[in-house]
Amino acid sequence: MSHAAQITGWGVASAIGVGRERFRSALFRGEIGIAPIRRFDTSAFTTHVGAMVVGYESDDRDPSVLCREFGLLALRDALEHARLDRNSLRSLRVAMTLGASLFGVQNTECLARGLLEELSIEGPSITVSTACTSSTQAIGFGADLIREGFADVVLAGGVDTLTPALFAGFHALGVLSEGPCAPFGRQMGTTLGEGAGFLVLERRGARDAVTRGLLRGYGLSGDAYHETSPEPRGRGVAAAIRSALDDAGASEDEIGYFNAHGTGTTANDTAEWCAIQSVFGSELASSLPLSSSKGHLGHAQSAAGVLEVITTLECMGAGLAPTTGGFDGPRPGGPPRPLGARKPQPLAYELALSSNSAFGGNNCALVFGGTNPPGPDAEESRRRVFVSTAAPLCAGVSRVEELASIYESKSAPLDRELMIDLAAELPRVDLRGIDRASELLTTVTWRALGDAGVQLRGKIRERTGLIVGALRASPDSLARFHASIVQRGLAKPDATAFAQLLPSAAQSACAKALNIRGPQSTITVGEGSGLMACAIAAWMLAGRSDSDRIVAAALDTRAEGAPGGARGDAACAVVLGTAPTSVEVVGIGVAGPHQLHEAIAQAQRRWGSPEPPEIVLAPASKPGSGPEERAHPFAGMPSTSSSFALAHAFGLLRRRMARSALIGVGGTTASVAIIVASTEVNYET
Amino acid sequence: MSLEDEYRAVRHHAALSRMDHVGLLRLVGDDAIEAVDAVCSGDLWVRDGRMLQTLILDDRAQPVADVYVCPDNDACFLMVEGITTEELSECLARHVDPDLDFELEDLGPEHELLSVHGPYAWEVMSRWLTPDIIGLPYLSFYHFDLGVCFRAGKTGEFGYDLMLRNEHASKARSELLELVTSLDGAEVSLEALDLCALENGFFSIRHGSVDGLTPIELQLQWRVSTRKRFPGVAAIEERRARGIRRRLTHFVAADGVKSGDVLRGPDSPLGEVMTAAFSPAVGGVVGTALLDISVAHPGIAELFVRDRDATFPIRTVSSPLVLNRSLLVDPRSETYATREDSLRPPLWQGALP
Amino acid sequence: MKPDLSEYVASRVAILDRVRRILRDTMKLKIEAEAIDPDAPLFGTGLGMDSVDAVELLMQLDSVFGLYLAGSPQDFVKIRTVNTIVDAVMELGDEP
Repeated sequence: MSHAAQITGWGVASAIGVGRERFRSALFRGEIGIAPIRRFDTSAFTTHVGAMVVGYESDDRDPSVLCREFGLLALRDALEHARLDRNSLRSLRVAMTLGASLFGVQNTECLARGLLEELSIEGPSITVSTACTSSTQAIGFGADLIREGFADVVLAGGVDTLTPALFAGFHALGVLSEGPCAPFGRQMGTTLGEGAGFLVLERRGARDAVTRGLLRGYGLSGDAYHETSPEPRGRGVAAAIRSALDDAGASEDEIGYFNAHGTGTTANDTAEWCAIQSVFGSELASSLPLSSSKGHLGHAQSAAGVLEVITTLECMGAGLAPTTGGFDGPRPGGPPRPLGARKPQPLAYELALSSNSAFGGNNCALVFGGTNPPGPDAEESRRRVFVSTAAPLCAGVSRVEELASIYESKSAPLDRELMIDLAAELPRVDLRGIDRASELLTTVTWRALGDAGVQLRGKIRERTGLIVGALRASPDSLARFHASIVQRGLAKPDATAFAQLLPSAAQSACAKALNIRGPQSTITVGEGSGLMACAIAAWMLAGRSDSDRIVAAALDTRAEGAPGGARGDAACAVVLGTAPTSVEVVGIGVAGPHQLHEAIAQAQRRWGSPEPPEIVLAPASKPGSGPEERAHPFAGMPSTSSSFALAHAFGLLRRRMARSALIGVGGTTASVAIIVASTEVNYET
Repeated sequence: MSLEDEYRAVRHHAALSRMDHVGLLRLVGDDAIEAVDAVCSGDLWVRDGRMLQTLILDDRAQPVADVYVCPDNDACFLMVEGITTEELSECLARHVDPDLDFELEDLGPEHELLSVHGPYAWEVMSRWLTPDIIGLPYLSFYHFDLGVCFRAGKTGEFGYDLMLRNEHASKARSELLELVTSLDGAEVSLEALDLCALENGFFSIRHGSVDGLTPIELQLQWRVSTRKRFPGVAAIEERRARGIRRRLTHFVAADGVKSGDVLRGPDSPLGEVMTAAFSPAVGGVVGTALLDISVAHPGIAELFVRDRDATFPIRTVSSPLVLNRSLLVDPRSETYATREDSLRPPLWQGALP
Repeated sequence: MKPDLSEYVASRVAILDRVRRILRDTMKLKIEAEAIDPDAPLFGTGLGMDSVDAVELLMQLDSVFGLYLAGSPQDFVKIRTVNTIVDAVMELGDEP
């Protein structure tokens, strides 16, 4: 990225210590945070160790309570490190990007909202829920918010906690090591952990701050391969690493240290080593200092990425490189000489790369380093972003034109169950085991790409991305998982349902079915998630060069028997791309919750038109919030309703029934506004 | 070299063979996969770099070809047994929409197919090709400088098929033979591979007759789609509606049993022998028989062949019959040189009737 | 047919049908249970089940038949096909 974001501070709550000072001294002493689990009974399992946050080893309160506490500890620690007090926070535009895939908990966006409220911060928060890549991606999106000018300061990081159900699921999949894990070592398997970490990212010049590091770039990719196994040759991991290097304007030989995902499982470590060799070449790879922090911290899941970056930053500042705790000799198919001592080793380096991979094939890599900027900021060449197609789906709506009649008459969509038959639309794809949420998402994505004439073959697969706005994990899979535990006990959960429990499961299943390998993610802001996904897709296309089109999708699913039942099911896919069409995205605005006016003002400024947009669509889908809102047609579809609005606007512009439109949502954790305009009458700034 | 020695090479070491009986074809064009989909019986749920085993059936749903479909970006490799290139071409012409954009290339004239099979075949490939080969999943393939390496095989052991341009083939063959012999293996005939395939329950289109038999009787329904239209689909639906009456079942016997023999039960004839061959692992005959559905189950010892006054009993068994060595070998942690053969269970642990 | 033979076949068929239904439900196949060939490979090729399916299958076999399999190569051989599962149930499972 042309404007590297500066890192002005960080904070942690981890298995080797809470707070930077304790963390650093434990890290430099080579402490291992893995111990027998005291929080819950592990006698029915074949392994009994985990990496709990110091002081919380026996604490068995609700996971969302623990996550909130971990999060606050890490946040306060980070703000203190960055010397940001209440006054400075009030005078800056502050946002949060939070990696959290709270297992089985609905409404993860509430966690982010709660953290900001506790600190009296009113800016937007975006929650990234892509399992083990959540906080890594959150850091990347946080840097984007700064580059795009939506924030001066971003608190970017992640939180997670180790629950019995999570432990049981991983155990059933056979990926836990018997003793403390030994990444790249002879013992196979990983050790689960937990924790929280935050980086303070800042726009250079926002205030007089000490730069402690620079975030130079990030890269995303998807394996499109399998629900739990990585693509064996590390194809996706390599793509993310290359993309991060490209974004950072760095070459492979500039990387002085590599912090690997290195979980210790058979599948991950060999695939990752293949990827490293593929990117760096076997000669450079064999001399590249690399290690995995999971031997010391355990696998902190949604917090893994940020904790591993912080580990590296702490070591880098002291002229050290992190090492691989528990390493007991190289394994066949793994790197022959990872840094394996117990304590960090002396090493001088300017630039580091950290990589993470997740179930479902999401990969994310970050390039970051010392305080010397790479050079004068290059002239940013931003690309224009256009809307190619839109595919809405809910009961009674399967085409953009059908949206129009609902908006005009302000009547509710048909009160009946939504029936789809994806197998008929995709005869050559194995859809066995695909759940309802994945089926909905794949249907709209397939239709939207099909309408856009995109055939996902060859290089197009790597150049096509997928950003999904969704609120929760699949309700059916959650129900099945819990039922299996009730019927068979915690030691025998339904492993297939477990794999589908991630909020990103639908995104991964869709990417796998359609072979989408480009940058991808699953995010939530609660209400308006679909529109936020569009905003992210648009800024990625404009400010990055790793994709040519991104499907911005929204997904709402209701459990059977829930109010609204299957009638609440809805999905929408909007294909945004850099190839010109008649409808262009001309302005985006992102602001704090209930600050829609601010988001709209931002979007209007970026558009640069003296006139306001012709059409304004600002749907609210909170039922019963007011007489006007009740009239809006898509109540009960918090993620999708704003995407429907965008699709509807696209339809109107495409048919020349209007020349510009504003779609906005003032949600509970963020407000988003997008202005689209016909390309014949676009105003340049 | 005797068949028994060749068999041992495949089952315990590594064996090299030429696969001249396999047709090598490639379809290119935007609609290549769609064209293949139109003539093959199975759902083509297969991605780039992977292989799917399927069938081509005739209008009576009898298998005429055994096919591996291997999509490769905008093209598709086919490895075909049972029909010639001309016959496949005719089949495509008859069943595929003429507006589809595809072209069939016969790779046979310019390529040779060499295969290495055995519990240590991966070690041969790891030295000849790359150590990373142990990460190549079953039924996938990739391009290397001299050709394409497919990991497949019908013996139940590790198996790698190398499609090489003719000019590289003879050098490759002698290098591979050297590697194979260094592991106490050998070059083996098709007969040895077919014996292993029989023991492991792989369908062979080149053995036995499929007259009047559909995938339902042949236990190949897994290669047949229940959703799409394909040549033979009407006959399959009809046969399904009628209900299965006979099923192919594996058996072992001491001796005296050969292809075509009638199998009798306590009261009446109940089937006939399809294929039979002597197996060194079993120390007797292994084979397949088409049996009345009432006795088409493993573990039945009441059937026999009568020849004049002598009776030769058979015992039906589940397939695969053998506990393949390849299941017990971990390429990540052992080599041929460090193997612990004495700790391994025998290939077959049953009793002859 | 002799009574012991017909009894043997009947018990096999009962277990066979049950196993086929478990497979169809585990893998959410939209096919008739009868279309699952008794000797079709379950993993790799054939029905194309993967390691995650295997986990669930083993749990079901334990829960329905009392057949506990640990997952060693020798145990894996017992679940290569429906027929090998039936063999294992008849040999090692609970009495019906």
